[in-house]
Amino acid sequence: MTSNQLIDDLLVTTKNSTQAVQKLKQFELLKLSERNAPNEWSILECIEHLNLYGSFYLPAIEKAILSQKTIHNSCVFKSGILGNYFVNLVKLKQAKIKKMSTAKTMDPFEKQLTITTIDRFLKQQERLKSLLEQARYVDITKAKTPISISRFIKLRLGDILRFMVYHIERHVAQANKIHSN
Amino acid sequence: MTEEQSFTHDLVNSLKAEGIRQTFSKGEFILREGEVEKNLYFIESGAIRVFLLSEYEEQSIRFGFENSIINSLSSYFREGPSEFYIEALRKTTLRVISKQRVSEIANKDIYSLTGYKCLLETVITQQIEREIDLLTVSPTERLNRVLQRSPDLFQQIPLKYIASYLRMTPETLSRIRNS
Repeated sequence: MTSNQLIDDLLVTTKNSTQAVQKLKQFELLKLSERNAPNEWSILECIEHLNLYGSFYLPAIEKAILSQKTIHNSCVFKSGILGNYFVNLVKLKQAKIKKMSTAKTMDPFEKQLTITTIDRFLKQQERLKSLLEQARYVDITKAKTPISISRFIKLRLGDILRFMVYHIERHVAQANKIHSN
Repeated sequence: MTEEQSFTHDLVNSLKAEGIRQTFSKGEFILREGEVEKNLYFIESGAIRVFLLSEYEEQSIRFGFENSIINSLSSYFREGPSEFYIEALRKTTLRVISKQRVSEIANKDIYSLTGYKCLLETVITQQIEREIDLLTVSPTERLNRVLQRSPDLFQQIPLKYIASYLRMTPETLSRIRNS
């Protein structure tokens, strides 16, 4: 797949996630903070979880893009083995959500949350969109990005972008499911 | 009394006499980003903060205590969407009057108008003080400048918000205070 095609796909998914959360924003704070089971996340906690990821990855992605030379022709993106593994781990399969565990630092459970959680997420989505657009002009196979779980591993920028977008899609789907239950 | 003092006095009296009383509980928003500020608030009791939300953090930019007059100023002047949120930091009672009413009070006579003009000059001067705060490199000096203006800041406002106002981490602020 060319990197431009990949980025087009990711922009579409990003737009869908943004629109879904804009709809959630209209609910009362009480509804957004409700949980279906004592050990499950509320809608706000799902979104805050994404904000925590964004706070780590968006600056890292920005740095990776800025450190690269501009390219003029779109090139083919090749996924890395580890990068692809992480992407497949979070990517939704047939819209079914399999439970996963979360690293402690990325778990917003029982944190005091309010409507700014959603506003901040929407700002991060704007940022992500603009970074995806900027990523068209660098080699996303060559550019490397650090990851949150290990200081020693770096992944290809293209894989990190895929991870971000699908991870968001996953938890937005989860938030929507909480709402429909 | 200077013209500014007597105008402020009139304004506060009007706020107390005719302002609509509104009570907010802790964490409740008086104004949210994107809404248009149409009012001026007088804080009867409690405390509030004005903050800017970015992708990664909340930046506190102003605090209001008992007897302060406050609002989201640029939105109020421009009648455009507010960049800022205003949040009650504890149970807070406000007196609220409209921009229209403030304008009537300011335009009452030439003395009021002069007083209003002087008040705006004071507000601009305060903004410049704040600009100097933010340009001050030393965190200790930044804290000292703010404490000179508001000696009771720590009595009124939780530490984490003061740290954000001073653009430092809560840890740095604690360290400076203890040294």
